[in-house]
Amino acid sequence: MPAAQTWDSVSEGQEFETVEASDSQRLVIWAAASGDFYQIHYDDNFAKNNKLPDIIVHGALKGMWVGKLLDEIAGDDGWVKQWDVSYRGMDIAREDVTIFGKITKKYEQGGEHLIDLEVGVRRKDGSVSTPGTGTVRLKK
Amino acid sequence: MTMEEEADLAEVMELTPEMKAAVGKPGEPTLYEVTSLGIRTFARAVGYKNPVYFDDDAAKAKGFPAIQAPPGYLGMPVWNPNKTTARQASFESPFKRNLNGGTAVEPLERVFAGDVLEAVTTLTSLEIVPSAAFGQMMIRVSETVYTRKSDRKVVAKTRGTGLSY
Repeated sequence: MPAAQTWDSVSEGQEFETVEASDSQRLVIWAAASGDFYQIHYDDNFAKNNKLPDIIVHGALKGMWVGKLLDEIAGDDGWVKQWDVSYRGMDIAREDVTIFGKITKKYEQGGEHLIDLEVGVRRKDGSVSTPGTGTVRLKK
Repeated sequence: MTMEEEADLAEVMELTPEMKAAVGKPGEPTLYEVTSLGIRTFARAVGYKNPVYFDDDAAKAKGFPAIQAPPGYLGMPVWNPNKTTARQASFESPFKRNLNGGTAVEPLERVFAGDVLEAVTTLTSLEIVPSAAFGQMMIRVSETVYTRKSDRKVVAKTRGTGLSY
């Protein structure tokens, strides 16, 4: 979990990472939290009958992992302005993934101290299943 | 698949007048309840540790009226098996399988347990495109605006991309 950042503590090119587990229990909790009860996310037989190698991680959960990383960077005194992600590939459950963010731009706009980040979900083999961008306002 | 078959498929899988009419038409307002149970379940699933998402006393120490919703959590639609709401304009689609293509979130105001949000979703774009995997697929982009009922503030906007094949 990255520590909350301030405007003076960050620089362009700086990277943040956190590792998330995707065991079946977690996917069931997410199903309850999100209302997405599609069985490919928790029913082994259903997933295999749909030609999947195993249950897969919900796309929206991956998107919210990215939101959490940005929220941790912002801390209580900052604010996540926006983020967006594209679900370009499936992530098989029970494999850890890395959520990453890299500052691409540090700037002031409208009196706010902002950073733009390249964000995403990276698999163990280094491929990125879920690329995106985000913007965070930091405390000066 | 032969070129002739592909051409036939392309001719069949075009946007219908009904589909085109759905673009830009807001759906019915849908109520989303933000409860402390919902916030804690969401925060637990995503892996948050910040006490303002779990602990009433920690939230009140920050001057908040109740625990706060993490960014992206906008409650759950009120489930009523006896009443269905058309969240967005619907149409007959020849594509029966759906995938989540992407999510964008713009948090604008803090959201707390006890809030009730009114969500209005508009289909903003719809297209049928060639797909190497499926022949053709439909891409739908929808935008949703969430307004808190108590003070009529827009608290968040989201955009979702749906893929159908």
